[in-house]
Amino acid sequence: MAVEAFGLTKRFGNFTAVDHVDLSIREGEIFGLLGPNGAGKTTLVRMLTTLMRPTEGTAKVGGYDILREPDEVRKAIGLVAEKLILYPRLNAVENLMFFGRLYGMEGEELRRKVDELIEMVRLEGFKDFPIGGYSSGMRQRLNIVRALLHDPRILFLDEPTAMLDPQSIRFVRDLIKDLRKGGRTIILTTHIMEEAEELSDRVGIIDHGRILVVDTPEGLKSKLGVSNLLEVFLELTGRDLRDRAENRIPIRAVGRM
Amino acid sequence: MGFKRIAYVTMVMAHKDLLDFWKAKMLVVAFTLFPIVMMAIFGYMFPSITSANPYAGKFSSPYGRLPIAIVNEDGGRAGEEIADRFAQLASSTGLFEVRDFASLEAAKERMTEGKLKGVLVIPQGFTESLSSGRQAILTIIVDDTNPQAASSIFGQASSLVRIISEGVAASRISGLGAGADPMALLEPIGLERRPFVRGSATTFQFLAPGFMALTVTLGTLSGLAATISREKEQGTLDGIMVSPVPRYTVVVSKVLAQTVRGMIQSFIILAVSMLFFGVRVYGSPLLMVLTMFLAVLSFSGIGIIITAISGEQETAMTSLMLINMPMTFLSNVVFPIEQLPWWLQVVGKSLPLYYSADALRKIIVLNAQIHHIAPDLIVLALYSLLTLSAAIPIFVRSVSR
Repeated sequence: MAVEAFGLTKRFGNFTAVDHVDLSIREGEIFGLLGPNGAGKTTLVRMLTTLMRPTEGTAKVGGYDILREPDEVRKAIGLVAEKLILYPRLNAVENLMFFGRLYGMEGEELRRKVDELIEMVRLEGFKDFPIGGYSSGMRQRLNIVRALLHDPRILFLDEPTAMLDPQSIRFVRDLIKDLRKGGRTIILTTHIMEEAEELSDRVGIIDHGRILVVDTPEGLKSKLGVSNLLEVFLELTGRDLRDRAENRIPIRAVGRM
Repeated sequence: MGFKRIAYVTMVMAHKDLLDFWKAKMLVVAFTLFPIVMMAIFGYMFPSITSANPYAGKFSSPYGRLPIAIVNEDGGRAGEEIADRFAQLASSTGLFEVRDFASLEAAKERMTEGKLKGVLVIPQGFTESLSSGRQAILTIIVDDTNPQAASSIFGQASSLVRIISEGVAASRISGLGAGADPMALLEPIGLERRPFVRGSATTFQFLAPGFMALTVTLGTLSGLAATISREKEQGTLDGIMVSPVPRYTVVVSKVLAQTVRGMIQSFIILAVSMLFFGVRVYGSPLLMVLTMFLAVLSFSGIGIIITAISGEQETAMTSLMLINMPMTFLSNVVFPIEQLPWWLQVVGKSLPLYYSADALRKIIVLNAQIHHIAPDLIVLALYSLLTLSAAIPIFVRSVSR
């Protein structure tokens, strides 16, 4: 198993963002983690990537315990977070070289890897410009390959196509399909159902911090007798807007998320 | 993870911070101009009389060229003479700019408008008193809206009147004949000030080391708060935290980068002070570097703790103001700490800035050696050790909640 969670829980004050999640993600699969806004997707990913300590429970990622062997977990994973992990004043090469060095890469090896990744997302012509001047699409392409510097076996992508134009969305989705080559496990959070349907081998639907169901997109559709994943999603998570008073997060917790 | 690898990633992160700083051109410009502007303002605010001036020893921290008026209500010859002599001395010392006014009312009117800082009145009957051997009294009316300026004006005017008065007395005594030393009769016991410091210790010589320490401190605090909370908010901190580097190296690298920035800024201050305001360094530059390094280090922990607790940039910056302002005025940088009531002195002396300013001043002005400033350095080192060892776990906790 690439990821195994055991009763993983995160509370902020009285608010429970992730509630006793048990989850198994297989080696080499693309796993879609679906849920409405505020369902707990990002909190779950942050715990699995060692950025946040669970209140209860634990998980194994790449075979290592997130609490006891965080550095081994970190070597095994790559993260494309919701926010860009890039310094706007630095250019593409400087950004990638910096993060590469944090993974212990140096010299010619690092240089080659950086060039290869920049070419992979077709930014050769822009590699000397500060990335603050890039378009959102260019930035996100670079942001994704930033997570690949050390060839991680497991890649977390948190809403990788939010805010992108159709061309960039297409490019990013094709890139994700490419990235699974060689047996890499990909965990993708999204609330765009067509994306999940196109890319995922299996999906897990999460709401109010709980995993409601895990299955293949086809399995879910036939189980509920609907024609697409969006109907599955609305059937399971309800059709009402989410902004109800009991869903509010205490303001002090917001800064930590 | 070996020490070499830890040192390496720390350097990599510090280098990235400095590169990121260097790329923000406008920031670099402001960063360079800040100490220059600050020193220029204070340099002109506290001008020093050059040693070439014959009256150099008589005044400590003069306000230059203050506009004052002379109103002569006397009409006698001695009144005229005194007015001329005062005006002449005022311009040769550069202390006042004297204007004549016909009436006290007109002069007071101008003072209310703020165009005059004081009015020297030669009252009716001045010549008569003087010639009949009684003490003749001059009156000065001073703009009291700024008490500190007012007392300086009074002090400066008194010094000038004293010079004139001594002249008058001397000529009278020598008129009595018998070869008596006029000064011996007038002032049987005199007090002469001999400088402890080579050259003349100007107010600016006192201020420059303090400002070096202050700039480094303020720069460190706001720099740390800005870079840490910016990385948190823009999300790049996650990129570092998700890579296999020890958490504390992030803190150490930030402190390192800030230290480099702080030292650059303080050397700009030193250069400006030396080139334009006649400040001289008598002590060892190496000792200065060591002190400055400890000055930055002693505040880094505090900066990190405040930033970690604040969570985001605006809160962090506002919380820092809470420390910055009192520190500026209580740490013997601008005002001598002896002016403060005892409990404020305690507050001042509990801030590390007091010790870094003190040590720098002793090095620069008194050529102090390491054993002279050892107490200061030990306090700074202890401060650094305590605050940083508290700051690291607080920072790590704040980023992994």
